[in-house]
Amino acid sequence: MNTSSNLHRSGLILDRRRFLGLSALGISAAALSACGGGPSTSGGGGGSSTVEQIDFSGVKPAKEITFWTSNPGDSIKVSTEIVNAFNASQSDITVKLVTAGADYEEIAQKFQTAQTGGDLPDIINLSDVWWFRYKMNDQIIPLDSLFEALEFDTDDYVDSLLGDYLYDDAHWAVPWARSTPLFYYNKDHWKKAGLSDQGPQTWEEFGEWKTKLAQASGAKFAFQFPALAGYAGWTLQNNLWGWGGGWSKEESFDITCNSSEAVEALSFLKDWVYKDKVAGVAGVDQIQDFAAGVASATVGSTGDLINAITSAKFEVGVAPLPAGPVETERICPTGGSGVGIPKDISPERQLAAGTFIKFLTEPEQAIKFSEATGYVPIRKSADPAAILKKTPQAQVAIDQLPNTRSQDYARVFLPGGDLEMANHMASILTENKDVQTEMDSLKTALEKIYTDQVKPHV
Amino acid sequence: MTAVTTKRPRQALSGRRLREWLIFLAFVLPNVALIAVFIYRPLFQNIYYSTLNWTLGSKFATPVGLGNYRDFFTSGEASKVLTTTGIFTVATVGLTLALGLGVALALNRKLPGAGFAQATVFAPYILSGYGVGLAWLYIFDPNIGALSAILRDVGLNSPEWINSPPWTLTMVIVVYVWKNLGYAAVVYLAGLQAVPGDLLEAADLDGAGPVRRFFTVTLPLLSPTTFFLMVTTILNSLQAFDLLIAMDKLGRGARTLIFDAYLTGFKEQSQAGYSAMLSTVLFAILVVLTLVQLIVVERRVHYR
Repeated sequence: MNTSSNLHRSGLILDRRRFLGLSALGISAAALSACGGGPSTSGGGGGSSTVEQIDFSGVKPAKEITFWTSNPGDSIKVSTEIVNAFNASQSDITVKLVTAGADYEEIAQKFQTAQTGGDLPDIINLSDVWWFRYKMNDQIIPLDSLFEALEFDTDDYVDSLLGDYLYDDAHWAVPWARSTPLFYYNKDHWKKAGLSDQGPQTWEEFGEWKTKLAQASGAKFAFQFPALAGYAGWTLQNNLWGWGGGWSKEESFDITCNSSEAVEALSFLKDWVYKDKVAGVAGVDQIQDFAAGVASATVGSTGDLINAITSAKFEVGVAPLPAGPVETERICPTGGSGVGIPKDISPERQLAAGTFIKFLTEPEQAIKFSEATGYVPIRKSADPAAILKKTPQAQVAIDQLPNTRSQDYARVFLPGGDLEMANHMASILTENKDVQTEMDSLKTALEKIYTDQVKPHV
Repeated sequence: MTAVTTKRPRQALSGRRLREWLIFLAFVLPNVALIAVFIYRPLFQNIYYSTLNWTLGSKFATPVGLGNYRDFFTSGEASKVLTTTGIFTVATVGLTLALGLGVALALNRKLPGAGFAQATVFAPYILSGYGVGLAWLYIFDPNIGALSAILRDVGLNSPEWINSPPWTLTMVIVVYVWKNLGYAAVVYLAGLQAVPGDLLEAADLDGAGPVRRFFTVTLPLLSPTTFFLMVTTILNSLQAFDLLIAMDKLGRGARTLIFDAYLTGFKEQSQAGYSAMLSTVLFAILVVLTLVQLIVVERRVHYR
């Protein structure tokens, strides 16, 4: 009887087995759930060499705009103050500050997803390795017409920093949280090793100090390489350039990471880890390790300066990055992030965003921001006295600015190039893999990225 | 007694059935619609994306047919990623089930504080995977982590948990099992409490010792629980993600299929089409695995 009534509704029976089956299917399907809208497969996609500047004449700025930042250098407090100051300074535009990720990668991910799902910000904090991707994908606007409409004093921005965002004769971002790598050292360890209070002039000079340092300091490492994920591709440019190499040729997509110069530079560093056993690689954060006394020296961003000084229980020494045997003048890459404006928002919102960017990067705010974070002042007319009074070490970062070089195209213009470099460096520095083999493989990977993703657009 | 022996008039029956159907539809349709829109539409959309060469965020894409699948299976990436996925899944499911059962057996006694102990074991399960990952990363950090300090005290060097791929995978497995152990333990505990005392008593009278009683009475009676846990933990494990992204930034050690889909789609080169292909492969694996479990494994389950 029961059976017949069950059979009667046989289509609806949900026993344990079917329940599990259906749930599994549902969960599996959920694993596939992707984002909303999709791409068009008809036409487009190719690069256009002419850049269309937006005409802002007659446009009224929007009343409310959003600023997405990943708060580089723990800048949430100072950014909030600057946003509040802007909102108080006029009554036309209100800016809302949104923390849209914990780092440059997370904010990029959110911005990419927002392209298909809507809800775009009006100002986006974009890192050195991401802005070009946005430009290629037609996701941000060229800012030159905005500079004109809002009378930006573009000559006052540090030339190399603004120049970093120049492509196709247009500027795609404005420098904001800009940095250079710095050589950090533990003054106590230096003293114990009988070294004078200064950084090495060349990497080879540090090579002579490292064993003495390791023996005298009692620290685990004389030198710690920064955590590879965010730093390898960036800071190692200094080493490659010093040996006359580079990830790619200067201002070119010609990949040279497997040249004899590059291999020699990286082999020199690898020996510190495996031959001399006085160096290692940071796991999570080299500044944290350095502040805990794990290493006598490391390389970090200028954006780490305040954090390093406040968290270390010893006196922190800061020096410009050392030179190499070929490029005997000290030279270092710029880095960090700027701010840009998305394309798919109204001109009203873009104009309001430009108005805020102008305020955000004015000398007064630029100094305030640098003072709070350690990032380099991006304006020539900014008076660094306040920063230097609080953090005299910042002088090193400021002095280093004229010795900067724009980064290798392979790192900043090839999507994912930076992570490829980090992965291959991890193989060399943590798995003792052969430098030449790894660099050959990196070259293949970078060239594939160029051919597949960049060449059709440039 | 309640059996209906007289046939109801056909008209009345269909009128009543129609009403039943309408009520049924009213209850079911909103859910079906939601599932169709939020689960099945993305599913098919995703399968379509997997045939495109599409950079995430770009408005344009090029159809490549099965090109993404061909690239994956011929480049050597497939064997690498699927091996990692296999190791991660087998290790996490096996350890979660075995240790979960062990913990459940330990907790299945009327001892003071048993409730507190159960809550403590279960607590990690409800924590955010990303937060757990970050916290454990600092414990495992070979330079400043708590674990390295302990190892140093006993004269050992800390393994390179973060930078050496095999150690990274080990670390992620340990933390994943720690986090999910409580779930298996609580479900097993419920299963254990449903094991009838009279059967155990009868076995005892027949001279079976505690080990024999466990293997011949308790464990077979727990097989429906084990089966349920196996299905759910395999599914969860294949989709484990938040912990991985927190603990393996470059994806060198714990690059499982779903993590690979994330890294290729959202980081690295933002290849959304390729990433969709990986998700589709994962979907196919999940479907096959679940069917195998339902058809083959379930035959060995003893339902009472």
